[in-house]
Amino acid sequence: MTGIHPPGGPIARRTVLKAGAAGGLGLAALADLAACGNSDGGSSSKSLKMLYFGEQAAATQLQNRLQPQISKLDSTIKFEISAINGTDWNDFLAKVLTQIAAGTPPDIISVATEGLQLMASKELAVPLDDYVTKDLSALKEYFADIHPALIESMMYQGHLWELPDSFNAGNMFYSTELFQRAGVVPPSEGWTIDDFESAATKIAKFKGINAFGWVVRLWGSWTSFMYANNANLLEEGKYDGGDWLWNKAYAGDPAAAGRKGGWKWGAPTANSEGTVEALNYMIELTKKGLSPSPDVGGGGTLQGLFASNRIGMSIGGGFWAGGLTNAGMKNGSFDVQLFPKWKSQRHLFGAGGYAIFKSSKKKDLAWEVLKLLVKPDTFDLVFPGNVTTPGRKSLVTAARYAKTGPKHWSVFYDTLTKHPETAPIPAPPYYNALATALNQRTTQAISSGNAKAALDGLQSDLEKAAGAS
Amino acid sequence: MSAAAAEVPAAIAKRRRHPSSHREAPFGFAMIGLSCLFVAVFTAIPIVASLGLSFFSWDVISSPQFVGVENYQRLFTDGPVLKSFGVTLGMALAIVVLQLTLGLALAVLVNQRKLVWIRTIFRTAFYLPLLASTAAVSIFMGYLFDYKFGVVNYYLGLLGIPNVPWLTSGLGAAATIVLIAVWQQVGFTFVLFVASLMSVPTDVLEAAQIDGAGPLRTLFRIKVPLISPTILFAAVVALINAMQLFDQPYIMTKGGPGSATTTVTISMYQKGFQNLQFGYGSAIAIVLLAAILIITGLQFLAARKLVFYQ
Repeated sequence: MTGIHPPGGPIARRTVLKAGAAGGLGLAALADLAACGNSDGGSSSKSLKMLYFGEQAAATQLQNRLQPQISKLDSTIKFEISAINGTDWNDFLAKVLTQIAAGTPPDIISVATEGLQLMASKELAVPLDDYVTKDLSALKEYFADIHPALIESMMYQGHLWELPDSFNAGNMFYSTELFQRAGVVPPSEGWTIDDFESAATKIAKFKGINAFGWVVRLWGSWTSFMYANNANLLEEGKYDGGDWLWNKAYAGDPAAAGRKGGWKWGAPTANSEGTVEALNYMIELTKKGLSPSPDVGGGGTLQGLFASNRIGMSIGGGFWAGGLTNAGMKNGSFDVQLFPKWKSQRHLFGAGGYAIFKSSKKKDLAWEVLKLLVKPDTFDLVFPGNVTTPGRKSLVTAARYAKTGPKHWSVFYDTLTKHPETAPIPAPPYYNALATALNQRTTQAISSGNAKAALDGLQSDLEKAAGAS
Repeated sequence: MSAAAAEVPAAIAKRRRHPSSHREAPFGFAMIGLSCLFVAVFTAIPIVASLGLSFFSWDVISSPQFVGVENYQRLFTDGPVLKSFGVTLGMALAIVVLQLTLGLALAVLVNQRKLVWIRTIFRTAFYLPLLASTAAVSIFMGYLFDYKFGVVNYYLGLLGIPNVPWLTSGLGAAATIVLIAVWQQVGFTFVLFVASLMSVPTDVLEAAQIDGAGPLRTLFRIKVPLISPTILFAAVVALINAMQLFDQPYIMTKGGPGSATTTVTISMYQKGFQNLQFGYGSAIAIVLLAAILIITGLQFLAARKLVFYQ
């Protein structure tokens, strides 16, 4: 349990309610809402509720597509998906927690790497260890198809909290048209940061075109350069444990060697030499006119600008294939390559998956639905149109990208298989505070041109946030 | 007391006792009660709840922990939050001064138009931005003022002016947000001033004219003092609104670059809803409320010397 404790230690909720009654109805009401968050809430007995990051129209469509299969599991259950909208996972998590506080916790929640440790550390979900152990033989095919890096990213303190079904690694998308016009040879797998800058310099000569576009956020921002520079915002470590899974589900798999019980994010290292160098590089790109000042946010505008050929290169994952196609870009007018090599060619990624809420009264049914959600034929029901990268390798095929592109679609999964050093984004239990501070300090660095001062500030912000969590 | 005068209270008393008055009373109380209920539910209780919550540490998920005045102690030593108070005050003062000056100037100019339909068109035109959703306006303005792809910089570029970092430099972002807030709010002040200027007695204006006062002298010596109660009202309302500035900076800059446009309400939102420190967020809200009350009180104190009541 986290949070600031009073000098006299924690007090019971009943005492708080009494205090609320004395202090006013409002506090009582709020404390009561808090109680709802911890109580045996969950959905009503006839429905199974799932929270989903996106638009309600899409959520309803998905709900309708999945209902027949859920009905096969239990004909009396109505599957309800509530969409939560937001610019990024930070927004999503804030709204999820508010909804929980309002007394409407879900049974199943779809959470990405960003929120995993926050959710697990607050014990909002239940570990899936017992369920997985019980159904291991049925899940053998699933684990054989999912890269262990994705599974490890869903572990915390030795327990598995989510079944992943998707991921996105920070690769480099580029406009084939702009590359051709600038006379730049399409990048190869082993291209370097110098090749990147050389290509950017040639593309930047076109008026009104930005060679490289990016947004301020944790995933696929300047943080991709930071990873390639062998640096990070937090000390990297791993929790012990996880053998219960690795020894059984991934026995003999070399890709699982060295995997443990989840990523342990330690002391902040935001102002380390490598981190400062990476952010300085972004400032230099801006000063050289190779990159505009970035916006803070989810990247929707960036995709629009890229689709209208106003940006030569940008960091994107498999979700960009669908995003660019939806924005009107034709197959062949864009392609993707691994992120360029700097000190290393280490990539970052974020994974998505499903967890069972602790307050759910239908955990066993929820588990059955989780297994359904990670089945190969469910993937396209949940994510139609290549709006993310399948976590199952068997689904990353030429046929999948035949309509949308990109030509080098195999890069998406190669990021995991060919670069075992690839790691998830640093998302500790205090992710929300980290994301807020990162956004502010990055814009500070870009506007002031002083990466060191901004990252010293970020270091201080993160130390405070880590101390308070 | 005359007989006629004595009859009046008797008539009032009779009317009070009239059965229809008894029937109307519950309806009247229901109407007032409804308003009271809304104020209680949406204003009074949340304020009391926030005050109570500010003495707790609460992350929404776990049980609240009583921490006494710890949140307040933390606030007064929290550099970024204190800075957000400074940012808010600076932006609020700029907004109020610009809004009043511009509103008054526009009102005076429009009032000089003799044709009623011209005045109506201007009144509508200046008031329209106020009716637009602030969130929608902010998104739209974000695109307009984008450094590289914005329409504003595009047209400036046609004139040979290099791109202006409207939203990507500290001063630029603060100034742009202030201007947008003023543009959206000035219609309210303008309408107030137009109405107030129209109520200035014409005999006073004619007397000033006979005494040889020019238009500027008439404005500053006659009209402004006579409409000073309206100016005070507009200033108080504008300042209260500006101190709660949130939508424009949150949508357009997320409080950046750095913390250049992080207002108190953004700090409060970040601490409460993003960092899950609802107790601390509530403490910030209470201090903001106190700051607004103090500043408004100071305005009324100043008004004793500056405002002229007829």
